[in-house]
Amino acid sequence: MNEPVNIRELNDLIASKSNFSNMIRNGMDRRIVGQKHLIDSLLIALLCNGHVLLEGVPGLAKTLAIKTLAQLVAAKYSRIQFTPDLLPADVVGTLIYSVKNESFEVKKGPIFANFVLADEINRAPAKVQSALLEAMQERQVTIGDETYPLDNPFLVMATQNPIEQEGTYPLPEAQTDRFLLKVVIGYPEKEEEKQIIRQNISGHQDPVVPVVDPEEILDVQKIVEKIYIDEKIENYIVDIVFATREPEKYGLTDLQGIIGYGASPRASISLAKASRAYAFLRGRGYVIPEDVRAVCHDVMRHRIGLTYEAEANNISADEIINDIIDKIAVP
Amino acid sequence: MKILKTVFAGLVILLAGMSVNAAPVSLRAKLDSVQVLMGRLTTLRLEAVQGKNAQGGLPMFERMSADGIVGVCGDSVELRTSFDRDTVDLGSGMIQINYAIPVQAFDSGTYRLPQFVYVSGRDTAFSNQVVLKVIPVPVAADAQISDYTDPVSPDGKLLDFLPDWIIDLWWLWLSIVVLAVLFIIGLRRYRKQGGTLLAKKPEPNPYEVAMQRLENLKRRKLWEQGMEKEYFTFLTDILREYLEKRFGINAMEMTSREIIDSLSGNSEVKEKRGYMRDILDVADFVKFAKVRPLPSDNIAAFVNACRFVEETRPVAEAVDSGGSVDPQTNIKSGLDMPSGKGIKKGDPK
Repeated sequence: MNEPVNIRELNDLIASKSNFSNMIRNGMDRRIVGQKHLIDSLLIALLCNGHVLLEGVPGLAKTLAIKTLAQLVAAKYSRIQFTPDLLPADVVGTLIYSVKNESFEVKKGPIFANFVLADEINRAPAKVQSALLEAMQERQVTIGDETYPLDNPFLVMATQNPIEQEGTYPLPEAQTDRFLLKVVIGYPEKEEEKQIIRQNISGHQDPVVPVVDPEEILDVQKIVEKIYIDEKIENYIVDIVFATREPEKYGLTDLQGIIGYGASPRASISLAKASRAYAFLRGRGYVIPEDVRAVCHDVMRHRIGLTYEAEANNISADEIINDIIDKIAVP
Repeated sequence: MKILKTVFAGLVILLAGMSVNAAPVSLRAKLDSVQVLMGRLTTLRLEAVQGKNAQGGLPMFERMSADGIVGVCGDSVELRTSFDRDTVDLGSGMIQINYAIPVQAFDSGTYRLPQFVYVSGRDTAFSNQVVLKVIPVPVAADAQISDYTDPVSPDGKLLDFLPDWIIDLWWLWLSIVVLAVLFIIGLRRYRKQGGTLLAKKPEPNPYEVAMQRLENLKRRKLWEQGMEKEYFTFLTDILREYLEKRFGINAMEMTSREIIDSLSGNSEVKEKRGYMRDILDVADFVKFAKVRPLPSDNIAAFVNACRFVEETRPVAEAVDSGGSVDPQTNIKSGLDMPSGKGIKKGDPK
């Protein structure tokens, strides 16, 4: 085949870096049983320089996953347990007066890390959530008069517990939009659960050794940015996003009273970015409709507002996305 | 003395001015008919002329009687208090008010009606007097006296027994009847044609449609003109629509892998999915990866498309068109296009 040089080069480049994702996957598999989707989502977020919001009941290896990822990348990891009495300064840092030096000194918060686990983000009040989400967006923090850039790569994995609702402050829609992906984690399969038991009662676990360094991730991020997205794929993405805003124009009249508000342009951007990362993980230098489909739910589910009617009828955003995907013609 | 003269002169001027400013008020009376049969009505017309802005009226009629009648001439002549009036502008600040008062009398004789009084502001006008002759009803004393006639029973018409609103809404009932007739006709037609109101068009054969479209695609020579992307887009669209029509697979909304997966689950085409996989693999490269395929790739994709359609055509038609089908015999290089009626062994072309 006479293919243009750039795609060929890109494919070669991706092939040369294929070890990257394999090594991380293998490392994760040693510690985490199952949860392939979670691992893929973390990798996608890492490759896109985005953030992940995880929703799942406690005990599904959310913390372990990000901790293992941080260890595999030899990156700095921190965990912030969000509580109702948490203050923004507890996250971003503050100025502390040094009696010895007779001056204010900067005490950087736990957000100054490559991988940050914001555990149970919906337990902290809105001002703390805002401080974190602003830092996620701007990738810098201002303490006193000084602005400090955050480490690179910088991945925040926030968790939400869907069971307990009392004493929680659900993230506003505008804030959740800042997460590249919202991943819903389910329970493991029977076989996986048996394996989890064996792994945890044996008392022996292989130590996690770093397999990549942060600089390599930055290199891979640059490769992902080069992955080709054809205009047909762009149109497909735009159609999916527009179908959430004007479902009647796509023959989805049933969704009219169900969708309160559609996905924002940030959704289109995120869908394109995540599709590219997914294509990279599949060893391709170009995006195909399958890539878009694969990441569509995670990218879109927190960006579609449901009406009271939808909630009353127990209709989820995932069902809406399924309807849209089934209706939009694939290029 | 001089002062007395001045006051007198002033009074004269004032009175003269008043008489000049006051508009003349008049009232004229006349009867439409000066003689009427006893009990019959005639009209007394009173024409009052007065200033435009003045308020006037007939005091006689302002005293409202309980029965609406004012009696004159010893109550022999009755004037009705409910009468018409209209106003005519005469110009020069004057108007004429015309009263039309019904008059009736039940005693024969000649009556001189009294002068009618019209009051306008401070002015009072009296009408002229009119005379009314009331002629008695002739009585035939020798005529035979007949008894009351019996009640007449009306003709028995259906419409007489219906309320008026039913008759007023005749158009509605007519429309309902027309619609009901149309509905019954439509229903009978619907049942007769197995679920459609309009005459059923024969469903185009997906095989023939696909072959026709493939032939059209070939004629357009897209890849020969360097439009490989469009060529593969059309080619895959033809096959997807064929799958949709032929096997009920929603291929237009499926990705390449989903199409292959759904073909794997269909026993009818399971064996032929290899053709489709080859086409879709190349098509994805061309459509989404800016890859320019070699001419042999274009031809191979076309040949595979024809084979897939040909080998998955409905069995009954394959028999109709001459039994066994071997597309390889006819499609030599993929540049030859099937005619849409099946590729048969031994065809000259």
